[in-house]
Amino acid sequence: MRIDAFALRKPAAVMGLLLVVVHVALALFSPWLAPFDPTELVGGRVEAPGAEFLLGTDVLGRDYLSRLLHGGRMALFVTFTGVVAAVVVGSLLGVAAAYFGGALDDVLMRICDIKLALPGILFVSLFITGFGESFVVLVTLIGLVYFPGVVRIVRAQALTQVNLGYVKAAQLRGESAASVIAREILPNTLDVVYVEFAIRMSHAVLLLSTMSYLGLGLSPPTPDWGLMVSEGVGQLAFAPWLVLFPAVFISTLVIGLNFGAEALANALGMDASRGHVGGT
Amino acid sequence: MSLLEVRGLNIAYRRPDGRLGPAVIDAAFSLAEGESLGIVGESGSGKSTLARALLGYCRPGGVITSGEILLEGTDILRLDRAGVHRLRGGRVAFVPQNPLSSLTPHLRVGSQVAEAVQLHRACGAREAREATLELFHAVNLPDPQRLAGRFPHELSGGQRQRVVISAALAGNPRLVVLDEPTTALDKTTETQVLELVQRLRERFKATLVYVSHDLNVISEMCDRVLVMLEGRVVEEGATAQVYGTPACDYTRRLIAAVPRIDRDPGPLAAPSAPEPLLSVAGLGYRYAAGRRWPWTRRAAAERDALSGVSFDIYPGETLGLVGESGSGKSTAAAVIAGLLAPAEGTIRFDGQPLPPLAAGRSAQTRRRIQIIFQDPLSSLNPRHRIDAILARPLALFQGLSGTPARRRSAELLEALQLDPGFLDCYPRQLSGGQQQRVAIARAFAADPDLIICDEITSALDVSVQAQVLALLKGLQERSGTACLFISHDLGVIGQVAGRVVVLRDGTVREAGATQAVFRQPANEYTRLLVHAASRGYARLPLPPGALAPAA
Repeated sequence: MRIDAFALRKPAAVMGLLLVVVHVALALFSPWLAPFDPTELVGGRVEAPGAEFLLGTDVLGRDYLSRLLHGGRMALFVTFTGVVAAVVVGSLLGVAAAYFGGALDDVLMRICDIKLALPGILFVSLFITGFGESFVVLVTLIGLVYFPGVVRIVRAQALTQVNLGYVKAAQLRGESAASVIAREILPNTLDVVYVEFAIRMSHAVLLLSTMSYLGLGLSPPTPDWGLMVSEGVGQLAFAPWLVLFPAVFISTLVIGLNFGAEALANALGMDASRGHVGGT
Repeated sequence: MSLLEVRGLNIAYRRPDGRLGPAVIDAAFSLAEGESLGIVGESGSGKSTLARALLGYCRPGGVITSGEILLEGTDILRLDRAGVHRLRGGRVAFVPQNPLSSLTPHLRVGSQVAEAVQLHRACGAREAREATLELFHAVNLPDPQRLAGRFPHELSGGQRQRVVISAALAGNPRLVVLDEPTTALDKTTETQVLELVQRLRERFKATLVYVSHDLNVISEMCDRVLVMLEGRVVEEGATAQVYGTPACDYTRRLIAAVPRIDRDPGPLAAPSAPEPLLSVAGLGYRYAAGRRWPWTRRAAAERDALSGVSFDIYPGETLGLVGESGSGKSTAAAVIAGLLAPAEGTIRFDGQPLPPLAAGRSAQTRRRIQIIFQDPLSSLNPRHRIDAILARPLALFQGLSGTPARRRSAELLEALQLDPGFLDCYPRQLSGGQQQRVAIARAFAADPDLIICDEITSALDVSVQAQVLALLKGLQERSGTACLFISHDLGVIGQVAGRVVVLRDGTVREAGATQAVFRQPANEYTRLLVHAASRGYARLPLPPGALAPAA
């Protein structure tokens, strides 16, 4: 893989990667950083920031700072697992569609078309209403929402490979289809797969917090920024920070992921905004 | 007074690490009115960069670091934006290599040229249209009226290049810069375009700068020539003098490397057995046309890609398969290799019928037939080290792995005069010629009886081509491998193949001993090919071991 180190040193890239690192670190170490248990009632309702509770307490009397620090943990875990599933499944299907073509390709692409034609929020709310809000359901949902896009992009990238000399040479050696895909084609789609992963992560974080805000995602009392915004909306006039802080945390994570994806794409010689791969 | 004067020109490209790498170093030359100057060199020599600078242009990332380009006394590098716009297509015109990408696909060719006329002659639409038809007439386009209403993709390659040339003439330029204008064309089409450029040059009294890697073309088109190597002009002078008595060692090597059909190739491997190794009879192939609906049958394409093709290859010999683009020669390679199943005909290999697709052949048969492709970079997986690329056929066909495989890989590289240290490199780190030698090594790793070489030197520079051909010949002689050598270049075929088959539109036009066919072609088409291939020879010095001119 050729990585253009210069693209990673641009200000936007540095900022993006820094934001992602900070958020991931927060999610990993929040149990040790937070002063209180984020779900325990430790004070009065909506206490103002002070010496004991640095950012005050929320509507139920839980330490707000602790909830903020914990707020990305579950969301990142769910989205990460879901997006990994989407990217792994999507890449394998995309490469298979490109390599085998024919009926498999037709059927897969029509399934993707159907999924992409469904209004996203309708699909999400139907799915959640039908299956509940457990961890497995949320991960499955994120996987289902994002795999068709991955299939399409990876298929397009794999299609540029299937007629190249090294693939023909492998076929003429008598290699099995699985071996041709695994050894010759899949490694050459990895650039695209990495960038897809980064872009889908930012989409998924935004989707999950939207869902949580609407009551379709993570359920209380889980500390989650989307939930915290929805819980704090009623107090907007008295305690605007209850909405402001989680919103800032969500935004910085999404911005960081976006800039990080852009930087990764540039470093790999791609154009993330157009989703296409430049010349070699 | 000279029309063009270039002084101390330096051009550099910004490299990924931010530093400048020189592309043209201290170029200086002058060009008199009506003269034609050839710039010849291999890829990366800076010839195109120098030519484009004459229009005040640099590719993105390029910087003209110093120097002057004086056109009729004014330095074009000091012109403002508007001045440069007037210059380009006005006093200096450019004809690029690929005519398809230089024409806008969605505009009719007539209106594209008329736009240039209107812009540079400051005339009305009606007048511009008439001038366009006149230009189309001047470049020998058939039926200009009707052709002007066509889109670029509806024209043939030669016609497109004529349209581009007519657009270049729209502004009555003083200087025309042609950058490899015929490289993308077939030899017979090239002949026509070159003759046209010669005629236009006399008629329009234009001064030419002609960039090419092809010494034959330059010798025919240009009064004077610049030879470039790694950004420097290493030799300059009148064409006849430079070609006749080259002062620079590099020029001498370049001239010697040009494959010529009138050069005696020396002894070629003769068949080592009376029974053919591969026998192809009545081979036919049709590419399927698109389907209208998923449930309808695929209709066959209008024309057969191959039809009734028959030839034999005997053990140890090299058979040349020559033809222009669209002749079906690569299809024939794919069918024999087992990538495509023939529609009709039989292929026998070593006396046995050969199953159509590689998957249906035995491992032994797959080992015995190997193919080498045209583009060396795309035939090597960019993610694998050379080590892994060679290890795979060794493991599959020879049962070698670990240290023995590594040792055999190193031997193969050494046989192709490559440093065994390359085993730990990725293909991208190698030059084109080195990549192609690795591809040859991969084919020979299987210890084949027949190798199919599909235009394997077409993407390489002439000096590299000469080296690759010599190495291939050596390997083939030592191993006794037979070869089906496919090329569009008669000179190359003449160097390697004892017998030749001429293919056109999917059918065999002529077959026989190479020297006999080239010297006395029986077929009209072969005669055209031979004529096109021997252009410009009159002005090149006779090569060592040249044959007497054909009767």
